[in-house]
Amino acid sequence: MRVWGWAAVLLLVGAGMTLPAEASGWRYDHAYASSWNEYQAMRAAAHGGTRMSWKRLPNWTGLWEHTGGFNFDPAQMGPRATAVLTPAYQKAYDEKLANIAKGIEWDPLSACLPAGYPRWLLEPFLREYILRPEQTWLVLEQNAEIRRVYTDNRGHVPADEAYPLWEGDSIGFWDGDTLVVHTTDLKAGQYQRLQPAYSDKASTVERIRKTGPDTIEDIVDVYDPLSLAKAWHVRHVYRRVKTPGLRINHWSCEENNNVVRTDNGSTSFLLPGEKGYRDPTAPGPAAAPPTTSPGAP
Amino acid sequence: MSKALSALCLTALSAAATPALAHHSFAMFDRSKQVSISGTVKDFQYTNPHSWVIVMVTAADGKETEWGFESEGPSTLLRAGIKPSSISPGDKVTALAFPMRDGRPAGSLISITKAGGQTLVFRAGAPPVGTELPGPK
Repeated sequence: MRVWGWAAVLLLVGAGMTLPAEASGWRYDHAYASSWNEYQAMRAAAHGGTRMSWKRLPNWTGLWEHTGGFNFDPAQMGPRATAVLTPAYQKAYDEKLANIAKGIEWDPLSACLPAGYPRWLLEPFLREYILRPEQTWLVLEQNAEIRRVYTDNRGHVPADEAYPLWEGDSIGFWDGDTLVVHTTDLKAGQYQRLQPAYSDKASTVERIRKTGPDTIEDIVDVYDPLSLAKAWHVRHVYRRVKTPGLRINHWSCEENNNVVRTDNGSTSFLLPGEKGYRDPTAPGPAAAPPTTSPGAP
Repeated sequence: MSKALSALCLTALSAAATPALAHHSFAMFDRSKQVSISGTVKDFQYTNPHSWVIVMVTAADGKETEWGFESEGPSTLLRAGIKPSSISPGDKVTALAFPMRDGRPAGSLISITKAGGQTLVFRAGAPPVGTELPGPK
């Protein structure tokens, strides 16, 4: 049997196939000065990364959904985010929560803008992972937001061509069956409605892997010299959606959106019959977005 | 379990345990109150980012008011077993909803009970239609 085992290995190698590489067993045991430093340390630990092929790609097929609610750190227990914020962002976060307590709240998503990454990580609705050796697509149903992670050894967009992007610019490598991702060039945004803001200087490192037949985890370190006094380490878990026959269809926010911003900066609707209301059942092209205050006849 | 008790359990389960999935704040809704509105379905808009059920309500003096009830989007409703065909124009229904703070005729939909007694729960994570609920038999 031993002879036959070695013969099988030799046969595989001879046929150009290699056995799956071991993951580096990366441990989060100390902090780094930047996301790029952490990413490079992960890459070194993985000896440059696993050469991925169609046969080696892990199976992440199916539909998935985020678990753990609407806090960027799902381990958050109290009403406030676990991030260690800089004084300016802490002040802004305190003011935001105070306004929400007074019923004054506006979410840019209401104007049909994308959630953007890293908020993308904890949005509800369906998700799908499309893996290729040289590129992975991370698909979110909401607003059809797709993150593209290039794993073909390219670098980030050159600094003189870079500009803030909704999903950022993501490159990565495989460490065994773990996808390691570095993302930069982000648009400033908020982690969620009850969460703080981040700047366009934010960048992240992620380790994404399947932890069971029905679970995928994404361990994320966010670095942001403007908003964070130290890197924010969080873990998100996604579970398989098992509803038979369910599919991701195109999700158009403009299809039926009559949300408007009120004079005091909060949120309301235009209703049927009110000035500016856009009737989703009306024939012809969509009308211009509503601009008037709610309740106008 | 009676249909009425079943509907009550569904409503309590879904309203208490599952936040609505929305691209907007819920500042416009008063979630400390619930209203029960009966009328005739004018339209079931099975759309993103939210579905809407439009219900015509006739007052005692004959005056008609058009109520709009915002609900989850299609993929979330499908997971709860609520299909585009689950409600049709002309259906007599009673809608349970969190009302608007400003008193206009709209709300965040919790459930709809049809004339035949069937209750559909329109909240994310609601048990699919037809699920046997815990409780006294």
